[in-house]
Amino acid sequence: MTTDNEDDIIATLSDYVEGTLPAAKKTEVEAKLATDATWKRIHGELVETTKSHDEISGLLKARKEPAPESFTNDVTATIHKRSAGLFFGRRTFGDRVPFSALLVVAVIGLLVIGYILWSSQTGSLKMDKRRGETPGSSIEVVPKP
Amino acid sequence: MSEERSLLRRLRDRDERAFRELVQAHRDRVYNICYRMLGNRSEAEDVAQEVFIAVFKTIDSFREESKFSTWLYRVAVNHCKNRIKYLARRHDRDRDELDENSGGINGATTGMPVRAPQPDRALEGIQMEEVLREAVNSLDEEHRIVVVLRDIEELSIEEICEITDLPDGTVKSRLHRARLALRKKLQKHMTS
Repeated sequence: MTTDNEDDIIATLSDYVEGTLPAAKKTEVEAKLATDATWKRIHGELVETTKSHDEISGLLKARKEPAPESFTNDVTATIHKRSAGLFFGRRTFGDRVPFSALLVVAVIGLLVIGYILWSSQTGSLKMDKRRGETPGSSIEVVPKP
Repeated sequence: MSEERSLLRRLRDRDERAFRELVQAHRDRVYNICYRMLGNRSEAEDVAQEVFIAVFKTIDSFREESKFSTWLYRVAVNHCKNRIKYLARRHDRDRDELDENSGGINGATTGMPVRAPQPDRALEGIQMEEVLREAVNSLDEEHRIVVVLRDIEELSIEEICEITDLPDGTVKSRLHRARLALRKKLQKHMTS
């Protein structure tokens, strides 16, 4: 209550008029109302608007607009139309493309390829046919008779 | 609450029947908010449809930290704000084109599309609805939102704070100013 900001005064006085203000604050408000012109003016406005509010609110509520009868069908049809019938039904990866998972897979794949190239003796992904062959396995030491 | 949870789970599973149930349960309220915010039935229907489509598309991002209805109305209010901005821009552009074509003779209109007042307006039925519609429409957007949510939809101040992302004091002061403005506009049609 130390501030005289009009928004704060309105908020406090709204609670006062609605009777939701704690007793201690109520006494403070009443003291302000007795001495402060701004507080008095806003209180007067609030009392006036509260009087007319029920009537205005009643008029507005009585004229609630229901949605058109076909609304549910229309909105469902719009979804079907926009998605070519694919919107309903769970997607394999959910609704979002799992970019982070795809990135991890791509990085791992690149690392594997990089490692193969680095460790390859041919300098490519081709296997070195001679690698791992022992001299005896390719040359027949004892010729066939 | 558990019914709502189960509906949300089915929505996340892209269950069309759950979507229809959701629309059926909330369509009147969402449509009414849009209608009161936009003041035009066909715009309201269009925006209300977009609201449900957006909710359905983004249901996975709803963290259940607030009531589902609060989240839904927040989406509705944001869509209405965007449409009001779009309509105002379109209105300005149309007015500029009209000014260019007519040499500025017919261009004296303002922001929102409010119809010109007619004489002989009676107090009842369709004409009273027109009076109310125009009175609500003539409020600033920020005042209109709180009046629609509080005085028409009867939401609590706490819910309005959540929907509008405004502090309690601001909502109350805007509500007071909106009611003052509304009272001024409707005074001659009121009994008290």
